[in-house]
Amino acid sequence: MALRVMVVDDALFMRNMLKDIFVRAGYEVVAEAENGEAAPQLYQDTKPDLVTMDIVMPKKSGIEALQEIIARDPQARVVMVSALGQDSLVLEAVEAGARDFIVKPFKEEKVLETVRRIVGQD
Amino acid sequence: MDMSKYRELFLSETREHINNLSQQVITLEQEPGNRETINALFREAHSIKGMAATMGYNNTAQLSHHLEDLLDEFRNSGDIPSATIDYLLEGIDLLDGLLDDLQADRQERSTEAFLAKQPLSVASRDGKSPERPVAVPDDKIREEPLEEPDTFQILIELEKGTPAAAARGMLILRELEKAGNLKTCKPEMAELREGSPCEQIQAWVSSFVDKAQIKETLLKISGVANVQFIGDRRKNDRRRRLAGGRTIRVRADLLDQFVNLTGELITHRNMLNRAGKNRNWDELNKALDSAGRLIDDLHHNVLQVRLMPLQSITGRLPRIVRDLSRNSGKQVALRLNGTDVGIDRVILEEITDPLIHLVRNAVDHGIEEEGVITVSAGREKGLILIEVADDGKGMDPQILRQKAVDRGLVSQAEAHSMSDRDVLMLVCKPGFSTAEEVTETSGRGVGMDVVKAAVNNLGGTLDIVSEVGAGTRFQMRLPLSVAIIKILLVSCAGHALAIPITRVQRTLDLQTSEIEVSGQHRVFRHDEEELCLYSLAEMLNLPQAATGETTWTILTEVRGRQIGLQVDGFLGQRDAFIKPTGFPLNLLTGLNGATVEGDGRVTFVIDPQSLLENTP
Repeated sequence: MALRVMVVDDALFMRNMLKDIFVRAGYEVVAEAENGEAAPQLYQDTKPDLVTMDIVMPKKSGIEALQEIIARDPQARVVMVSALGQDSLVLEAVEAGARDFIVKPFKEEKVLETVRRIVGQD
Repeated sequence: MDMSKYRELFLSETREHINNLSQQVITLEQEPGNRETINALFREAHSIKGMAATMGYNNTAQLSHHLEDLLDEFRNSGDIPSATIDYLLEGIDLLDGLLDDLQADRQERSTEAFLAKQPLSVASRDGKSPERPVAVPDDKIREEPLEEPDTFQILIELEKGTPAAAARGMLILRELEKAGNLKTCKPEMAELREGSPCEQIQAWVSSFVDKAQIKETLLKISGVANVQFIGDRRKNDRRRRLAGGRTIRVRADLLDQFVNLTGELITHRNMLNRAGKNRNWDELNKALDSAGRLIDDLHHNVLQVRLMPLQSITGRLPRIVRDLSRNSGKQVALRLNGTDVGIDRVILEEITDPLIHLVRNAVDHGIEEEGVITVSAGREKGLILIEVADDGKGMDPQILRQKAVDRGLVSQAEAHSMSDRDVLMLVCKPGFSTAEEVTETSGRGVGMDVVKAAVNNLGGTLDIVSEVGAGTRFQMRLPLSVAIIKILLVSCAGHALAIPITRVQRTLDLQTSEIEVSGQHRVFRHDEEELCLYSLAEMLNLPQAATGETTWTILTEVRGRQIGLQVDGFLGQRDAFIKPTGFPLNLLTGLNGATVEGDGRVTFVIDPQSLLENTP
């Protein structure tokens, strides 16, 4: 069965880019959210295999969304997507249970490598 | 009956038989129908069976019995079909694996799958069934193996400029925690939480997980540039344990010489006693003189006992080359020269994998379509020279330069200023060969960097000589012994330090006025060449003495380049018994061990090569 992915990012551009990468790799993008507020419920509803989560978003940040998701599902595989220079936020996210992180601008290869590593582990 | 005391002997002898088996099968493949070889093969299998059954190693006994049956059949017909050769070789590999299990105190691996697929009519023969169990004595001497986790130190380097390095470091530590017990690490988790800088992580881990697997997992994490294992405490412990109960065979005439020498030493003790009592200095000196000679003889003889012929590890090479050439579709012949040269068994053990790697490399990268690989050994001054040479295309320094620049190992400018010889040595840098070149054969964990490190650890040197179109030679120069070596004693900031003589090309009394400063380095001319001069005191962070008219300098070689090493004076050279330093001193780079002086003081042995290679 294809890997089921959820993409959380406030920028449509980033969402589409990530979606294309995943679709090309043969994954299924089962849900997208454009802010941290919608993400936890959407996660609950769709139960994806993996989430990519932007950090800085309106309404609720990616880290808060991550915390909520992990609180309900400690096994959740969440990969943060951050920009350069957000080291302390990334650190906070990793502490909160993010499995890995991707730094923008990213290469398709890096994204897939990271996803494969995380999914291959469990 | 307690059989455990025979275990070591069983292991060493069986290993020999297995080596012979594999060599003879290759011979047989080249001369099919050679009845004598078939007979010899049969005898080898028969011997293994007998010993294994006596020891109570069921699977080993059963497998060798099976091979014996198979060979017996061909002994009668005098011919072995070529398909069976592969089957035999597979069986020999399996035997080798079983022996590995026994050596490591593990349960013997299963032989069922192999026995089940026997290609021949053994089963159909009258009166004999291959399934017939081999009689095994009842009193099992094997105990359940006690599994212990491996404890090792791991060094993980991050790519330069990795974003959010502290977070990356935390993910890596988390991965290590998953693999086993993370004992200590630097930086620590708490420091990383605070966002401490993180370029590399050093950690002690104990784990049941295979090291290669841990390395593979870590390398998959983005931002991880390199993973190396530094020390392996348990491995050393185990080696020491094994060495304790190990048996070796010694020629009887050598033992006779020991008895003779000991007798003479006793006579000399009496002479010394008498001379001392009578205060007869002439006689005392004479007795001391000849006692010195006797001790030299004894030393020589003791070394002899530790020597084993290189053959004992080259036995596997014909088989390896055969398999490799078959898989790669190349025609490779292997020549072995001088393999009867004796080498200290510790050194022999350490260079087994490197030697195999060099041969693999030669098949993979040296030979193009067809060629000859020559492994030769011989004495060269006080050293042993082991050379792996191919007659392939050779290495082109120009191409290597470009490759090294592409891999980011050196800058364009550095690459251009390097001599061809230095450029060849770049293949020993970790990360030089990349995944796309790692073939099934040469990519198995050991890289050229590991080969070089192994040789250096033994106090030897690795050189590469290559000519485009004329092939490549990898030369390992190794000391005769690891325990007793010749050292040069030097003084340095008020300390006496020892440097292995194998590292000293010559000593120079430079006129301080000959030394010039060029850029950041001090340089001097020697044999028409400008060489860099380093200060040993500075490298060791010791106060530097004021320089007089003469600058005492050791000429040595680092990374294939001659350099001068300044010391405060030369104190002489002598044989020294080197003891390894214990933990944590053994973690210091550049410190090879220590020797105790006649007055009880400890002198440290410095290896300038590893000291300088690890200094930026």
